[in-house]
Amino acid sequence: MKLSAIRPIALVLSRELVITVLLLLGVSFVVFIILFASPGDPFSVLLDGQLSTAESKAGLREAMGAPRSWYVQYLTWLAGMLSGNFGTSIRMGLPVLPEVLRVGLSTLILTIGSLIITLLIAVPIALYSALHGTDKISWPLTMFSYVISALPVFWLGYIVIYLFTHKLGLFPIAFGFSTAGQKYRWLYQLLPIFVLGVGNGTVSEVIRFLRQEMARVMSEDYIRTARAKGASVWKHAFKEGLLIPATEIIASKIPFILGGAVIVEQVFNWPGMGRMAWQAAQDRDYPVIMGIAILAAVFVRMGSLFQSLVYVAVNPRASKE
Amino acid sequence: MQIFIHSAFGISIFDEEVIMRRIAVVLLLIVATVMVSSIAAGAGRKKDSKPDGGNLSYGEYGRPATLDPITSNEMISLRLTELIFNGLVGINEKQEIVPELAERWDCSADGRTYTFYLRKDVMWHPKEGEEPKPFTAEDVLFTYKIMMHPKTITPLKVRYEFILGVEKIDDYTVKFTLKRPILNALAKFSIKVIPKHGPSNPLYLTRNDHFVQSPIGTGPYILKNITAEREVVLNANENYFKGRPHIDKLIAKPFADQNIMTQGLMFNAIDMIVLVNPRDLPEIQGDKRFILQPYNALSYSFFGYNVRNPLLADKRVRKAFTHAVNRQEMLDSFFNGQGTIISGPFAPGSWAYNLDVQPLSFDPEQARTLLQEAGFSRGPDGFMQKDGKRLALSLKIPIEKESEAVKRVVLAFKNYLKNIGADIKVEFMELQAWNQDVFFEHDFDIIFAMWVFDDSADISSLFHSGEIGPWKYNFGGYSNPEVDGLINESKLTLDHEKRRTINRKLHTILAEENPYTFLWTLTNYAAYHKKVRRVAIHPYKFFSYADDWFMEEKDQK
Amino acid sequence: MKKYSQISGKISEFSALPFWKKADTVDLVYVGYGLLIVALVMVSYILGSFKLLHRDPQDIDLQLMMASPGTAGHLLGTDFMGRDMLSRLIVGIQAYFLPGLLAIFIALFFGTGLGVLAGYRSGRFDTGITYFTNLVDSFPRLVLILLVIAAFKPDIYYIMLVVGLTNVPVVASLIKGKIQFLKQKNFIEADIALGLPTRVIIFKHILWHHCRSLLIIQATLGMAEAILIETSLSYLGFGVQEPTPSWGNMVQSGANYFMQGKFWPSTAPALAILFTILGFHLLGDGLNNIFEGKRNT
Repeated sequence: MKLSAIRPIALVLSRELVITVLLLLGVSFVVFIILFASPGDPFSVLLDGQLSTAESKAGLREAMGAPRSWYVQYLTWLAGMLSGNFGTSIRMGLPVLPEVLRVGLSTLILTIGSLIITLLIAVPIALYSALHGTDKISWPLTMFSYVISALPVFWLGYIVIYLFTHKLGLFPIAFGFSTAGQKYRWLYQLLPIFVLGVGNGTVSEVIRFLRQEMARVMSEDYIRTARAKGASVWKHAFKEGLLIPATEIIASKIPFILGGAVIVEQVFNWPGMGRMAWQAAQDRDYPVIMGIAILAAVFVRMGSLFQSLVYVAVNPRASKE
Repeated sequence: MQIFIHSAFGISIFDEEVIMRRIAVVLLLIVATVMVSSIAAGAGRKKDSKPDGGNLSYGEYGRPATLDPITSNEMISLRLTELIFNGLVGINEKQEIVPELAERWDCSADGRTYTFYLRKDVMWHPKEGEEPKPFTAEDVLFTYKIMMHPKTITPLKVRYEFILGVEKIDDYTVKFTLKRPILNALAKFSIKVIPKHGPSNPLYLTRNDHFVQSPIGTGPYILKNITAEREVVLNANENYFKGRPHIDKLIAKPFADQNIMTQGLMFNAIDMIVLVNPRDLPEIQGDKRFILQPYNALSYSFFGYNVRNPLLADKRVRKAFTHAVNRQEMLDSFFNGQGTIISGPFAPGSWAYNLDVQPLSFDPEQARTLLQEAGFSRGPDGFMQKDGKRLALSLKIPIEKESEAVKRVVLAFKNYLKNIGADIKVEFMELQAWNQDVFFEHDFDIIFAMWVFDDSADISSLFHSGEIGPWKYNFGGYSNPEVDGLINESKLTLDHEKRRTINRKLHTILAEENPYTFLWTLTNYAAYHKKVRRVAIHPYKFFSYADDWFMEEKDQK
Repeated sequence: MKKYSQISGKISEFSALPFWKKADTVDLVYVGYGLLIVALVMVSYILGSFKLLHRDPQDIDLQLMMASPGTAGHLLGTDFMGRDMLSRLIVGIQAYFLPGLLAIFIALFFGTGLGVLAGYRSGRFDTGITYFTNLVDSFPRLVLILLVIAAFKPDIYYIMLVVGLTNVPVVASLIKGKIQFLKQKNFIEADIALGLPTRVIIFKHILWHHCRSLLIIQATLGMAEAILIETSLSYLGFGVQEPTPSWGNMVQSGANYFMQGKFWPSTAPALAILFTILGFHLLGDGLNNIFEGKRNT
């Protein structure tokens, strides 16, 4: 990376940050409106198990504060958020921010891990078919990737668990990160990552996209020129044909993967955002839902930030656009 | 001994007089140490000679929201508070009331005053680095006041509304005054006591208070921490007043998927499952490492009818429905036959159950006859109808976490009723919407649900006409003057035998009237590794006797 | 000289061929399989809607639960309530077919509209639409759907509405990209110079000639996605509820018996999902390659 790349990178960063802030505002607003307009409230959940009489509901309302108009509530939440206070969970009474960050981190690990697996499978196949076209080797591989991409991830999870427990005699439930006292712990943690990376349907799209881009770049004039000159083709082709499209496609797939993570987290008991979102949605735990929505949006933006950074680092001149 | 004296006091062993003096000193020291340690451990070892040690992890379906006995409203939390807290009285394995935090008590002749004399040797769990504080009458008062405060969010208020007031007589004596005499009032004083120095807000308790996540109790186990994976770790309370529990550590591990929980047991990720899913019973039964222990809950499942609907107001229709359902087939196919079919509004293990009343037989022919008697005839589409109105009803069920067994029962019900010409529309709804529809709007025809009882067998709130209204338990609107009269009578009497007779009569009437189609009481099974010994289980709270469970030394991890 | 004209003759011969002869065998196989799946889906849908099934999908038989394929006339066995698997699989298509069409329609209709606006009249429209695109993209779709479900009710049509809306930006940016491409190549300028009315330019030239393959491919991908979302939601318990069959809730109830070695009740619907989604993906891929002629440099 050259020194001249630093200034464009700074420009990109600041631009992305501004966009991110605007987007987060938009996201939080939309989520808030949906929640506000929905029927049901968290009070019944707290008193559930014993029917609530009218008096206890009134006492509850008094304790929680009288309902204010929606924009006042939203602005209050927003003000709190800017000072780092995301409120406290209605169900558990714990402050939202540390909880959401905790689960967000484990989901992030799951997501990034699965992206790596996806790339490990997709890149070689894409490269091969871009270079050699459709032949006896690339076609079965491509078909194979299509088939596993169409596989529903929830079923794949069960199969994997079954294979491990009944055929190999190992118990692959990763309780987050400390499955103390069990052999091959690291293997257990890999399983949900593997299932998400393979089964979530991203593999085939990544292959398709990469192959397309790679083929396009290979046929570009300047590559032909380089070849004719005898210069190294790979350096140029790699940057534009592989690195950039790869970051582009994985950045755009992050929302999709976060969605798949909800299912994988359930099957493998992985303490992540998906499970928390589901529970919070049922409980109408508004502060938690807002927190998760914001964090999810942040992850997605991080993906696109990463993509822009890579683009600029490779092509410092491109930032001027 | 000789060497010890020599090195400790640095004298020659050959000086006899000095030696004798030194031996005396040492002997005194030893005796003193033994005395002191036995006093300190006076609250220590249990009187049985079972070994201490071992860790027990058990699987729960979900995680507890809060860990204090006041705000918590889920079974998971209930099981944990059972381990961390104590009540004024307790219940032993024979279902008798025994002293717990109170060593004895008095009840006034009119049944309206209860005086409890508290133990003087109970200490609260110590916070990190602090001295443990003693339990006193102040804590009991505090618990009552904070529970009843209007701003405290708790399901307990309703249960204790019969208390007029509490008074502290002295540091170890408390007096409760009741609004009116209540049968079995003593059992209700098993309510868990929380420390005055526990919550940060002295007036009312909300979920924001750190106490609900870091509870302090007097019970056999102390909350050590909640790990990053939301496992709840409890350590044995060395100073528990009933004697230190044998098992060192209890860990509650949360599972999101019930199938995986059973696998967890099979693969030693957990040692115990609190409630085994019926379909997994055969798998565990075949495995010699585990013990399946049944425990009977005082609960039953039923289909409840909304008699406000004219189609259901006729008791012949409801009786026909009960005849139409093959309860034995359902019990056998879905629950491995593990349960008892009931004929009336009580659990079969309850003292109130009338064993003379047989459940209605499975008889679709009889069902159709009854419908015809009620004025129904087969319509053109094959379903019964009367006065142009089809026998079409909605069955509403809340979507809950593990509802596979529920699904099967409900679908089978629909099928059975189709056979006699009733068209049932099954609606799975979100829990809150369901609560709203059933208990507030009364917008439903049939529901499928389960009641859980304590041993008072009090069904007055279910079938008395006075209990009809928004958010009251007589959701079906059932009203029968004879039943009302009997219920009133049973409330006034404090004679247990008389109550039993009344309840048996109620049982007979309701078995005929069918405001519900009473289904069954399932046998609950807990499964655990056989290394855990002397496991007695409380039918509702589960861990009440956990301090007596132990593991042989060779089995301790 | 002769050689050159031979070659150019061959080339012009080639370009005059109808597109299916130009295409690679592989693509034809893809499209063929995809069309087969589409045909199966539509036939099953019709069978299901008119109740032309050999067995009632709601017929419970408690003596025959989870029977293996071939028992007592059940071609694909029975599920956990003794209901015929095959007829439930057929009826399960109804869970996603119409809602999927709804999602596709919304995405294509509004996406095209916005894309044309953004591409044809850039400037503020463009920025606004880009912001909207990014906003929608920042949402993990399943989380958004969970929200909607918690807020309202688990109605598959609401959900597909959301899915369609979240796909609008994708379609819009594709259309916009196409229009910009055409602008670059001066096609549009040429049209305007020729004096063609705007409506004709947009509908006939841009959309029909240049975008139709794109739209068809988006439609196939959209259906595949709708299937995936509907089945995932039903699996989680939020979508279609019993007793209505959905491939998702069939996998879920079957999964309960998976660990005991009874694989078929959850595998059958999972395979159905697999082959159907595969069909739509391959159809889209094959069509894409044929229309764009991108296969084999």
